[in-house]
Amino acid sequence: MGKIEWAMWANEQALAAGLIYLTGGIVGVAGQFRGWQFAAFGVAAGCFVCMLEYPRGKRSKGTSVARTGQYCFTVCVKAFGPLTQNYYVRALLHAALSVPGGFMLATVLGCVCLGMASLIYLSAAIHGEHWEPILLTKEVKTAVGESIKEPPSNPPPRPPAELRRKRVEDVEGAAYVNPMPVITNE
Amino acid sequence: MALSLRSWVANDGWARLVLVSPVVGGKCGSFLEDFHDILLWATVQLPPSDAGAGAMCESGLSYSFESELLPGAAAYVQDCPHLPQGKKTVVHVSAHLINAVSFSVRFSDDFPSLNMAQHRGQDPRIIILTTVPGITGVLLVLILFLMFTASSNYIRLSSYEIFFYTHNLFIIFYIILMLHVVGGALKYQSNVDMHPPGCLQSNHTSLSDGVGDNQKDSSLGATETFCREEARFSPHFPVTWLWVSAPLCLYCAERLCRYVQSSIPVTIVSVVKHPCDVIEVCMMKNGFKARPGQYILLSCSSVSSFESHPFTLTKCPTKKKETFCVHLRVVGDWTELLTHQLLTEFSQSEVLPMVHQTRYPKLLVDGPFGSPSEEVFNYKISVCVAGGIGVTPFACILHALLDGWMQYKLRRLYFVWACKDLQSFYWFADLLCTLHNKLWEENRPDYLNIQLYLSTQTEFQHLCEERYKPLSSRLRIGRPQWELLFDEIGRSNNHKRIGVFCCGPKGMSRALHSLCNSNPHPGVTFEFNTESFI
Repeated sequence: MGKIEWAMWANEQALAAGLIYLTGGIVGVAGQFRGWQFAAFGVAAGCFVCMLEYPRGKRSKGTSVARTGQYCFTVCVKAFGPLTQNYYVRALLHAALSVPGGFMLATVLGCVCLGMASLIYLSAAIHGEHWEPILLTKEVKTAVGESIKEPPSNPPPRPPAELRRKRVEDVEGAAYVNPMPVITNE
Repeated sequence: MALSLRSWVANDGWARLVLVSPVVGGKCGSFLEDFHDILLWATVQLPPSDAGAGAMCESGLSYSFESELLPGAAAYVQDCPHLPQGKKTVVHVSAHLINAVSFSVRFSDDFPSLNMAQHRGQDPRIIILTTVPGITGVLLVLILFLMFTASSNYIRLSSYEIFFYTHNLFIIFYIILMLHVVGGALKYQSNVDMHPPGCLQSNHTSLSDGVGDNQKDSSLGATETFCREEARFSPHFPVTWLWVSAPLCLYCAERLCRYVQSSIPVTIVSVVKHPCDVIEVCMMKNGFKARPGQYILLSCSSVSSFESHPFTLTKCPTKKKETFCVHLRVVGDWTELLTHQLLTEFSQSEVLPMVHQTRYPKLLVDGPFGSPSEEVFNYKISVCVAGGIGVTPFACILHALLDGWMQYKLRRLYFVWACKDLQSFYWFADLLCTLHNKLWEENRPDYLNIQLYLSTQTEFQHLCEERYKPLSSRLRIGRPQWELLFDEIGRSNNHKRIGVFCCGPKGMSRALHSLCNSNPHPGVTFEFNTESFI
């Protein structure tokens, strides 16, 4: 029923997995457990994954809601071009980053979660999805009543405002003949 | 706005108190004695099973609304039904990982039967992956991770199907949960009377005197008793299923009940197209009873096999007329397909005008379920604030008042409806005008106070039809100003308890909630109830 956008779900999973990886890594390094070097890698990998996954991609259909303050991350991620746009690359990257986490108990959970995110990204890539940045385009706001500040373009006598309002779709019909001849003071 | 304690307690206090999970104090006492020896060498953090919270009974919630058990709890529960449980799981899982390390590091030679590890210093990951509790635990966490990531607000808004189908994994979650306790990791001492906690071994010397006397009798006190035999441990009988089965049985019974009830077919009487992408579907079902403010779940097998969507009833079946209506706004793909199927049949009848061929798709109705808006009639004065399509529960209230307003406790109703588009008001313009006129004719002009707001201001608009004159004079341009409105309501109804009902966008709901909590008019209590449809 409907087209499921796998990438949206994969993004949420990868972000959560990155946070879990980071937390596990911090615990491993802080406790100086056996294999803490893998935990240190987990910290770095977790940070990297969080920064990569924080900016949400644009939905192919419907409104995309950007995460708070994601603009600078979007610009950074966009700068890498096809490397970040392609979900096959992301799937491979996440799979590769998750492997070292499996060697240490504290980061095992992060490893598994990132692995699952990688699989969902693979599914998204197979379905032909790709990452598009959400960049807000500046819209020119025509405020209400702005035209009231402009002086009338025609001299008096003028018909009422409703008729005077410029009808773009019917310029010919909107034109009227001024009943009195207009003489300019030159 | 300063928070008023009295208002906060009236609005939010009960909900917070009732929904905090109770700690089973009595169980902790016996728990500590049996596990004394285990506690000596391992830290075990096993909070009581979260099973009770896992079973979400919609009928149970409906019952609580009916019996007014949980005033104000409705809004809180609908917002975050089991989010606290998810957070507790993180603590729970971390504690278990620490346990795995403890089993490895603190391998006990004194009590070998208590060990989960095979030798000292065994890799905790091996312990996790080779024991039944370990593997099932890992699977549980994975399923929970899938469910958690698919249930974020954004995913629910953009791809509801992912949320819906992953959440159905809870069945597998429960089965694995039952298996999680198999393996007997947790043991208790079975001979506490023969080997009480803190007793001395008979072949060990006591530190107080140089030569131990084996025949010291117990008249010296409990602290100096000797063990009559070695400690024996047996696995704890798994009682998780006791905690889990009761809510699970309730849930299964409820689902079965709902399935049986919803399999009765529904007859579609008429389909009307309204402006701004809204269609009204009038239906009839044998034995269907509903109260104003309740909602139903509609499912259509020709649109989607598993999906069902909630819609508030806009007209309840009465003794005089058995039809009930829903107004649905076309927003996503499900509603679009349903509208297409309902309206295409309608247009085909133009080909054969004499033969009224309407073969509507088969609709199944599940419900009705309760909602906070049912409480409107339980106050003497109520304020109903609607945003856009959120007017539907209040439309049902208005229909009920039209049938007979004298039977209810309600004596005054303030109806505030804010829309972005003028055309939206035409959905219920007739109903509002009819009720207004009826109340004026029955000499109760102050019963219904209507205020309509057109929140986006593009150009001057008004409802120009003559029959909608009462509405056009009550139409205001711009957003409602809540402080002024509430001040006016408070002044006209001093020393009263007023129910405020909101059904609309979250921003409006939040603004009203904080205004109600801040006691806008001293002497008047505003009790806030909200309903959201996301």
